[in-house]
Amino acid sequence: MNKVEFKQLDETLYHEKLDNGLEVYILPKKGFSKTFATFTTKYGSIDNNFVPFGEKEAIKVPDGIAHFLEHKMFEKEDGDVFQQFSKQGASANAFTSFTRTAYLFSATDKIDENVETLLNFVQSPYFTESTVEKEKGIIAQEITMYDDQPDWRLYFGVIENMYKNHPVKIDIAGTVESIQDITAEHLYTCYNTFYHPSNMVLFIVGAVEPESMISFIKENQDGKTFEEPQDIERVYPEEPAEVAIKERTLEMSVQKPKVFIGVKPELLNLSGEDMMKHELSAQLAYELLFGRTSDFYHNAYENGWIDESYSFDYSLENGFGYALIGSDTSVPEKLIQEINDTLDRAIEKWPFGQADLDRVRRKKIGFFLRALNSPEYIANQFTRYAFNNMNLFDVVPALEKIEVPDLQETFASVSQESQRSSFTIVPPKKGEQ
Amino acid sequence: MFETVNIAKGVKVHVHETTQFKTINFSLKFKDKLTKEKASARTILANVLQHSNEVYPSHTALRMVLDDLYGTSLYIDSSKRGNEHIVTLNVETVNDEYLSEEGVLEKVMNLMYIVLFKPNFEHGLFKESIFKREQEAIKHRIESIFDDKTRYAQQRLMELALPDHPASIQPNGTIEEVANVTNEKLVEEYEEMIKNNEIEIYAVGDIKAELIAEHFKEFFHFGDREQAIKAPSTELTKPEQERVVEFEDMKQGKLHMAFYSPITFRDEKFPVMQLLNGVFGGYAHSKLFVNIREKESMAYYVSSSYASQFGLMFVLAGIDAKLEEKAVKLVLEQLEEVKKGNITDVELGQTKALLTNQLREALDNARGQIDIYDQYMELTEAFEPDYLISRWNSITKEDIAAAANELSLEMTYFLSGKEDDSVE
Repeated sequence: MNKVEFKQLDETLYHEKLDNGLEVYILPKKGFSKTFATFTTKYGSIDNNFVPFGEKEAIKVPDGIAHFLEHKMFEKEDGDVFQQFSKQGASANAFTSFTRTAYLFSATDKIDENVETLLNFVQSPYFTESTVEKEKGIIAQEITMYDDQPDWRLYFGVIENMYKNHPVKIDIAGTVESIQDITAEHLYTCYNTFYHPSNMVLFIVGAVEPESMISFIKENQDGKTFEEPQDIERVYPEEPAEVAIKERTLEMSVQKPKVFIGVKPELLNLSGEDMMKHELSAQLAYELLFGRTSDFYHNAYENGWIDESYSFDYSLENGFGYALIGSDTSVPEKLIQEINDTLDRAIEKWPFGQADLDRVRRKKIGFFLRALNSPEYIANQFTRYAFNNMNLFDVVPALEKIEVPDLQETFASVSQESQRSSFTIVPPKKGEQ
Repeated sequence: MFETVNIAKGVKVHVHETTQFKTINFSLKFKDKLTKEKASARTILANVLQHSNEVYPSHTALRMVLDDLYGTSLYIDSSKRGNEHIVTLNVETVNDEYLSEEGVLEKVMNLMYIVLFKPNFEHGLFKESIFKREQEAIKHRIESIFDDKTRYAQQRLMELALPDHPASIQPNGTIEEVANVTNEKLVEEYEEMIKNNEIEIYAVGDIKAELIAEHFKEFFHFGDREQAIKAPSTELTKPEQERVVEFEDMKQGKLHMAFYSPITFRDEKFPVMQLLNGVFGGYAHSKLFVNIREKESMAYYVSSSYASQFGLMFVLAGIDAKLEEKAVKLVLEQLEEVKKGNITDVELGQTKALLTNQLREALDNARGQIDIYDQYMELTEAFEPDYLISRWNSITKEDIAAAANELSLEMTYFLSGKEDDSVE
């Protein structure tokens, strides 16, 4: 087992890659009573076109299948896995994102038993036609619930606008119609392709003793047989640099209009150090332009164009990414105009220097250190970084290396007019209500 | 866990010295009586105070100094508990030890003083433009509850079941009352908060209790104040209607049911209600989840919750609008099972284990430590997890069944999509 100390952060990370290819990370946290574990596969909603394990031809699977599979992992021949976790005092859950499916628990007692339950249930698929059919009603209600949430529709609306072909534009849970096509066979195909240990990461953080925990995990994994790992071939369509749709509007039952502006990045195939540098630089640049201390924020807030719901964010994955800026607003057109003008002005003449960078960098270092109090943040983010060949604990040194020209250069690649799109949700016109 | 020092009559400092976290957390809680008027005014006040002050006269200036202090987070929120309205100044800052810079903590404590004691006044009133702007922001915050149909449905249920009762008063007040607040009234409310509110100050982190208490005593000049008399909970009145259905433009039906229980937080049997809620609908092993979601495939979420301050239990479910009647029937059937004591040893054990886990886990977070300690202070002076765990462990199925038999369904509220053929 490898041991890496991050002195500045006062953290020690233990790591081992097991014979079956599973990456195991353990981070003991002093003073904590709980242990939080995530068992994650590098498989999300965007992986809908791939060569199945042991085959040669790529296939396409129904929208929403990764999320459907996540739901079905919990049901076994002898009942629901939640029951087992509850008996062992663990709160269990799972989530599916664009790129990952994670199974997790947190517990303050019976940690070995709970780790064992986590490993065993994710590594023993049980799907039948009748259990698959039964789940469709539950997931249809989940999709319907999201359909009624304006903030979710706004988020997905702007992503749909930005991407012409990439599957990130498909809702993670699919649609009520698309999930009807899912069969038990589909689930086995996806499972066998993406749930091989070599495509997964186990992260355990909290009140855990690394040496005994790793032997316990090894013993569990050695008792199971797996096929030889294969490289997974995923197929993604060509994606143009410019956005697919410039603007769209949707009517929903809301009090006040809501707006999101999305900006599609130019560089979509980064990984490792380059990706971290790009993501951090873009986040710092957007913080300077649209953060709480920016001229934009000051004007927009004091003039009442934005309110407390205002947010902005930048995120990059392999193959897609987005900057998002938005708010509830009574003047959607004005706000869209102001955001565009702010981007245009910064393209024309970069307004920030060393002192500005130093300030937002300090803010980001502080945010990161605060986040390290949270076992959930560490496990989830570490896994996301690992799947993109980055190390979460390199964030502070990477931040310290960033210089003003990095911000400027990165910003130039995520700001151009052709990369921007807007999505607006408006209340129904009067008279229709 | 916490060491407590009285720095003035009605002003206590509670410090938890720990190296568990990389940050230092502060919460200053100002407690007053809960009314619609006060909640409305105090929520605007919270926003105005966190906007700017005499030393940092613009929002940008204040946010810049916070960024410079390694992104120290500082916000003021308003909440309620029982008959109390609480304005809380929350501050979290990185422990100097992880930084190449010293003296951050002292600067942060000084900033907390400025935020509370050096408001952005102009001729004895808050700066008018800021007051107006934040008044608008709060109006919209209240309005926007409508956009989240689960929160909206719960709010409607409470307004309809218990109008003008503290249980239904929102911590942010009402749009009407927010609009009625004047700048003069806000200054009065500010003076009242600083001079007369009962104050609990919490600090958690790698700090020295004595030094922190001394600092607040010396620099914050909080004077003596009368300790607010804990008003007994207002009795729950019977709703005028048993069932209300309302329509909005939406796809899912939102079922919200309200049950009354005579058992509140201050009752000896309070832990029984926590277990009852867990067996009935609090978890993924609970009767509601297993039967309505897993067996019937009718819902993605279906759960119960217990609001202990007033003895209220709620059941929430997102269902197909056509299935309201069936869902209500199934919920009541499951409650009937609990009333009859049809609870297995496994269900009881699972619920005790998860309640215990939840409590211990919440204490792995500085805010969790503060919130739990603040809540239980009324019942026990030095809260320890075992205070609850030992009580849960002694509870039997019969205790739970007895508590379930005291529950009464008082109101069912259903928010649903518009019917296709309806004429409005």
